[in-house]
Amino acid sequence: MTLRELVASQRFCQGLSEGQCGELAACASERQFAPGEFLLRQHAPADTFYWVLEGQVKIRLALPGQGLVTLETLGPDEAVGWSWFAPPYRCQFDALATTPTRTLAFAAAPLRALMERDPTVGCAVLKVLVSTLSERVQSCRLQVLDVYAPPGGRR
Amino acid sequence: MSAPAEPTLPAPYRIVGRRQDSADVFTWTVEPLGEPALTFLPGQFNMLYAYGIGEVPVSISSAAAGEPLLHTIRAVGSVTRPMAALPVGTVIGRRGPYGSAWPLAEAEGGDLLIVAGGLGLAPLRPAILGALARRAQFGRLCLLYGTRGPADVLFADQLAAWRARGDLELRVTVDRATPDWTGEVGVVTRLIARADVDPARTTALVCGPEIMMRFAGEALLRRGVPATAIHLSLERNMKCAVGYCGHCQLGPHFICRDGPVLAWPRLAGLLDVAEL
Repeated sequence: MTLRELVASQRFCQGLSEGQCGELAACASERQFAPGEFLLRQHAPADTFYWVLEGQVKIRLALPGQGLVTLETLGPDEAVGWSWFAPPYRCQFDALATTPTRTLAFAAAPLRALMERDPTVGCAVLKVLVSTLSERVQSCRLQVLDVYAPPGGRR
Repeated sequence: MSAPAEPTLPAPYRIVGRRQDSADVFTWTVEPLGEPALTFLPGQFNMLYAYGIGEVPVSISSAAAGEPLLHTIRAVGSVTRPMAALPVGTVIGRRGPYGSAWPLAEAEGGDLLIVAGGLGLAPLRPAILGALARRAQFGRLCLLYGTRGPADVLFADQLAAWRARGDLELRVTVDRATPDWTGEVGVVTRLIARADVDPARTTALVCGPEIMMRFAGEALLRRGVPATAIHLSLERNMKCAVGYCGHCQLGPHFICRDGPVLAWPRLAGLLDVAEL
């Protein structure tokens, strides 16, 4: 499978033309990560948008006094990182592979330029990003609710 | 499975085993004193009576056949906390079994997706064991289990054995990871999108905190599982357990009699009403 075919087979390319998928593929490369290898580092420039094809990635945050806390794990068909889309383009969290992980890595600057130039592509990518954000906000709310805690014992 | 002729009369049972599953969850093994072994269906519950303390509904967590009767209990209230302190050998009262069961027979021929949250794994355990005992009758079998943290994972040995079988997809996630946790992190509802099942031919069994079940139901619908194939097990303030007293009413349903297992269409619109 060529890179263009691989990109075109992802769900954010549904409804896009071959030419548009080709333009998206021009921003992309396939990248693999070994367990423990970082996709994103907190505070680093957010210059890449990763789309997981295989493997598992954990999102991690350093908390003073508590060390490194894993907030969630992500898997195939999921986006890693959205800080690349909005200024100041800085990663808010660490993202690191916990198993051998294969991704599509989109260079952020040309991807943003393509989204500005072709609103159909921009809308397709944004739909996936917004649905990702919506799912994660909902999950985060459930985590904050601490639904498994004993009544009166939530903390 | 019908309730006994005198449905509110407890029969004496002896606690013959006790296992501490987590900081506040324990499992009793109980045996009847003078009555035949209980027959029940996966998903049903018993009323357990600690003499002089009180009575609570507890789901049955043992296999429908081939295991002694097991009840997994969380020490959380004015009855279950003293229950946690009862020694092996204590005689308790038991009445039941009550309520509806998981629709395992209806699910045969298709995939089975089981979504458990926290202590919700206990009432699902008999269904899982029942499905594994008739493994050839099901397509893909997937168990998604979410809990608060690694220390709260129930039936860890059992989960390891199920994972080792190779014919059940098991995914365990925690809301709050510890540094040594290497599994998945996040709410269990997010795993539904990743489960390897064919939604159109899937039956989903869901048990856990009510808010988790509501979001699980919605995620299952988004995945394409038919509403009529989504079954939830609810918990309410059951007192009589036979539909007399109405304490467990949820909208038009008495959970003790019509439930605890109810299909999604009967619950839609009820799980997000604050007054219920």
